[in-house]
Amino acid sequence: MIELRNVSKSYNKGKVKAVDDLTLVVRPGEIFGFLGPNGAGKTTTLKMIVGLLKPDAGTIAVNGLDTQTNDLACKAMTTYVPDYPAIYERLTGLEYLNFIGDVYGVPKAERLQRIEKWLEIFELTKAVGNPIQSYSHGMKQKIVLTAALLPAPRVMILDEPMVGLDPRSAHQLKELMREHCDQGKTLFFSTHIMEVAEKLCDRIGIINKGRLIACGTMDELKKLDAEPDQSLENIFLELTEP
Amino acid sequence: MRRLPSLVRVGLKANFGLSVLHYRIFKEKKDRWIVLVVALAAIGLGPTIYGYLHFLKIIYEILLPLGQQQAVLAFGVLSGQMLVLLFGLYYVISAFYFSRDLEMLIPLPLKPVEVMASKFAVILVNEYLTIAVFVLPVVVYFGILSKAGLPYWVNSILVYLLLPVIPLSIVSLLVIGMMRIVNLSRKKDALIIIGSLILIAAGIGLQFVFSRSMGSHPDPQAMLHFFTSPDSLLKQVGAVFPPSVWATQALAGGFSGAGLRNLLLLIGVSLALFYGILVLSERLFYKGLIGIGEIAGRKKALSREELGRRVSSGRRPVRAIFAREWRIMNRTPIFLLNGVLVVILVPILFVIMARAGGGRGDNAMILKALTSAKPLLVTLISACFMAVSGSLNGTASSTFSREGGQFWMSKVIPVSPREQVTAKFLHSYIIALLGIAASSIVLVLMIRLRIDDMLPAFGLAIVASVALTAVGMIIDLARPILDWTNPQKAIKQNLNVLFGFLADIGILVTLGFLLSFLMKIGLSANGLVIVLFAVLLILAAVSAEILLKLADRRYREIEV
Repeated sequence: MIELRNVSKSYNKGKVKAVDDLTLVVRPGEIFGFLGPNGAGKTTTLKMIVGLLKPDAGTIAVNGLDTQTNDLACKAMTTYVPDYPAIYERLTGLEYLNFIGDVYGVPKAERLQRIEKWLEIFELTKAVGNPIQSYSHGMKQKIVLTAALLPAPRVMILDEPMVGLDPRSAHQLKELMREHCDQGKTLFFSTHIMEVAEKLCDRIGIINKGRLIACGTMDELKKLDAEPDQSLENIFLELTEP
Repeated sequence: MRRLPSLVRVGLKANFGLSVLHYRIFKEKKDRWIVLVVALAAIGLGPTIYGYLHFLKIIYEILLPLGQQQAVLAFGVLSGQMLVLLFGLYYVISAFYFSRDLEMLIPLPLKPVEVMASKFAVILVNEYLTIAVFVLPVVVYFGILSKAGLPYWVNSILVYLLLPVIPLSIVSLLVIGMMRIVNLSRKKDALIIIGSLILIAAGIGLQFVFSRSMGSHPDPQAMLHFFTSPDSLLKQVGAVFPPSVWATQALAGGFSGAGLRNLLLLIGVSLALFYGILVLSERLFYKGLIGIGEIAGRKKALSREELGRRVSSGRRPVRAIFAREWRIMNRTPIFLLNGVLVVILVPILFVIMARAGGGRGDNAMILKALTSAKPLLVTLISACFMAVSGSLNGTASSTFSREGGQFWMSKVIPVSPREQVTAKFLHSYIIALLGIAASSIVLVLMIRLRIDDMLPAFGLAIVASVALTAVGMIIDLARPILDWTNPQKAIKQNLNVLFGFLADIGILVTLGFLLSFLMKIGLSANGLVIVLFAVLLILAAVSAEILLKLADRRYREIEV
């Protein structure tokens, strides 16, 4: 579970409010999609949850633990995939996975079984012994996803995870996101792909100019629109109209 | 070539981070303290520059009656050019082949020669700033001392602008040629390292040959000639790199025949070499550049058994982070050249230079006399040499900066900042120990240091290195450079590395003052070593504690 209470974050000494008094709860077993125009505050919110940015105000809790006071415990049950896979290019894929396994304390048997499974699914078995430098953008994205799945985290935070993935890998990712949450775990991700959000998410939040302007299930969002049965894309465009 | 000025403008802004700095200082109102630090550093340099000028004046006054005063100019000019020749290699390789903006520039409708010329111009501006410290005081002070007229000052501007062009062009020509060959191979990183080492070795070898060819065993006839010819000393100094003689004579000669002749020679050779680069770059630059970042992967997949064997059974986080640091440092050519290789190469260079300069005889005799007369001094100087050899590389003071855009991983992993910093400390410290070991071997070979002098020196150096390593890391942690696009920026162009050097030297000089005070109050040799050892232990403990405390705070504060 992820709970954000009155979280705010600004840049330029308070001149630019990136996230403004955000309150949001993502429940266990839930895939939560986070939508918003460019610069709306999506990445800032995700980065605050994983500890890359410090909120100016408010509290964030992961499974009941405050991310500021219990940072290591929160990090131990959370993994994060950034929007751009900036990872250790000079390591091989396997060295990188071993590193993640070591720092999250994943035992050897589970490590081997999960690495084999995800490498197979993402078709990385051939490349895993090569330096990450030799990977394509999509392959880098897949190795970061594999690393994020390796500790079998209770909470996964993904920032635009579909970018750079081929249709087969994107499909696999959606399956594994569902599988992850069916085990009672939590998944919070941002995306610009409306269809993915519409089909995959249990609940959706729309953020604009740092404020949460809509949040709920697809049905609940549809009720916000005067015209019945609008697509998520139309709802999004209307709500975020400049 | 019409697009060149705008390419250079963008290159300069990106290189010096002008836009980012402007944004931070004036918009975000962060980093304002940098202005203060730079001002303080400039003030702090005052006494050093004063000392340097004083030294120049003494030399000038000694040489003036002999008519050899131009050698002072040659010394300044030569040190500037040598700096470009030796360190330009790193700048050129990383700017021409490893800056990330190249990926953006290659698809643009620009000629290879334009891209290369813009990169060359940016390095040139960098070099003007780098050599200023060595060259400007000499040129300006010589002008004042010799009451030089307008021709000297006019020529000095021209000569200063031309000064880095020849050495930088030579380095560029060699690098462009080398990278063309490197790019043909699959083992590119290894070849870059081997190639750079060969170029450095060739450079040192050539200078060795030049200086030997000037003759180090003068007969009486030659001695007479030496003292009657006004520029003989200048030529001896400049023999290492002849363009420095042309530059000196262009300066000293003013608008006279000799002055203009040498100025023309300097301009001519600079232009010819620069033209050579343009021609060569049009043919070879992109062939060496395109695909240099590509690493050919193994075609064969890992078998199930192999995968099972290579999946680790779980290292402690400190060991895992240490392994990461070690691998990334040693597999990134620019980092390797500035880290492990520096600590091994610098002591070797000492040996080569000592052997090249005037043979072994005199130095060894002096050192031998010293070792028997003042054993304490030998121990202390040896310890200082070892500590400096171990610490004067940028490993510790770039340890956080080297992570760059990947620092996000250090922020999200469930490993405490203290453990992460401990692993990083161990990595930097082991490199320092390598330097101490290499310099110990040099001391044994060069001055036949006895084991009973060596052991205390070794002990002092390894304790001193704890503090020096921790201080370097503290400096980098206070303000890591994480937004670089060119690995050179993380280590070679990282001001933290310079501040780290200055702090290390400051600590050693302060310890020197403390020792001289203790000697004055009549403490015995053994007592001195024990006091020094205790002081170093306290320094090590205090600096390590500060580092760990700072880690707790900074890992939370740094936002990525």
